[in-house]
Amino acid sequence: MRTPRLSRGQRALLNCAPINQGKLTDRLMRAAVSRAADSPEFANQQNLDRAVAALVTLIPVPPETAEWFAEKDLVVGSKWTWKKIVRNPAVLAISIAVVVIAGVSVFQVLSRLNDFPGSATARKLLTVAASTRPVMLDPVSTEAGTLSDLFFMKHGLEHYDVPEEFADFRTIGCRVFEDDESRRIAQIWLAEKRMQLFLFPAERNTKTGAVLRFPGWRYVSQEGWVGAVKEQSGVCFMAALRGKETDLAPYLANQKE
Amino acid sequence: MLGDSHKAQEVFHTTLREAALRAAHGELPKERFWLFRDARWRCLEATEADLQPESLKLDEHDLAPHAASQIEQMEPTQLAVWISAAPDPQRTALALFYLDEFDYKEILDLADLKLSELSRFLVQGRRQLQAWLDGKFPEATNV
Repeated sequence: MRTPRLSRGQRALLNCAPINQGKLTDRLMRAAVSRAADSPEFANQQNLDRAVAALVTLIPVPPETAEWFAEKDLVVGSKWTWKKIVRNPAVLAISIAVVVIAGVSVFQVLSRLNDFPGSATARKLLTVAASTRPVMLDPVSTEAGTLSDLFFMKHGLEHYDVPEEFADFRTIGCRVFEDDESRRIAQIWLAEKRMQLFLFPAERNTKTGAVLRFPGWRYVSQEGWVGAVKEQSGVCFMAALRGKETDLAPYLANQKE
Repeated sequence: MLGDSHKAQEVFHTTLREAALRAAHGELPKERFWLFRDARWRCLEATEADLQPESLKLDEHDLAPHAASQIEQMEPTQLAVWISAAPDPQRTALALFYLDEFDYKEILDLADLKLSELSRFLVQGRRQLQAWLDGKFPEATNV
């Protein structure tokens, strides 16, 4: 069989062809070898190379040289201690990242546990409560329970009723405003502990339009403010004050569910 | 490479000690074969002061189909002596190639050779070995 024509580069590669064909990882080498695979010269070269390589494996290692490697560890590396592992920047960075991710996940899970239909609006209204000043409301001095009629007569808001737990408290002022989603919100300021009451439409199912109800009182908190929310007749009522749940609990007839 | 176990041991220990020092100072080179290359240069330095072999023009023969059977008649130590007698860098090229642990690119890197040089050293080495085999085991030639 004739030797195929090879370029100078291919011939040079062929002369360095690996003894073991399994090591043909280089594309150029693979191409050169495949071109010359059937040539007798290349077959002779490979036979000689394999025989030499096989004989090389039988060359005895001199005993004095073998002694150099008698010790298992030529250079003993420093042992990894817990302290060293903890101080390793990579381990430290990964640990901090894991802790932060776990913290955020736990926080989100806990937040979700306390969620109820309308909780997002309630939190926004707590922010409104924190920024509201008495001058922003119309001064009204009466019992909170009587404002339902005002909201209905003046603003056409049906079922904007203050629950009986808060109906007897004296008011300082009230107003009706629209939030960023054009929902009409009623806000009442009480003399009692500078508490604020909010009445806003309950959340509805986007497909059916049905009110998403929830039983009893639910707490929300935001930036040092706490609110107790209750849904009745498609309207949510929230009593809010600066403080903790324990500050609001005494006002609620029923315990939080 | 040195043909002297004491010198080889000295080079071996010096290379390892240097590597350990570099590791301790965090100055280990990033290239893969620096330790092999380092050891090789130390070996070459150690042989510089020795008596150098006369440069001989060795016979070269075309590779024969029966070369493998000729090689089977060789003693492993004969092959070791034959390779170690080659002048460097051909000796390095032959030793690294027939160890069958490195591919050609790694050998080029390790021995600081060009592809054409490695190719030439291997071709010459094979042809010289064939000539030596033909002289040593002529009966196998006639089989």
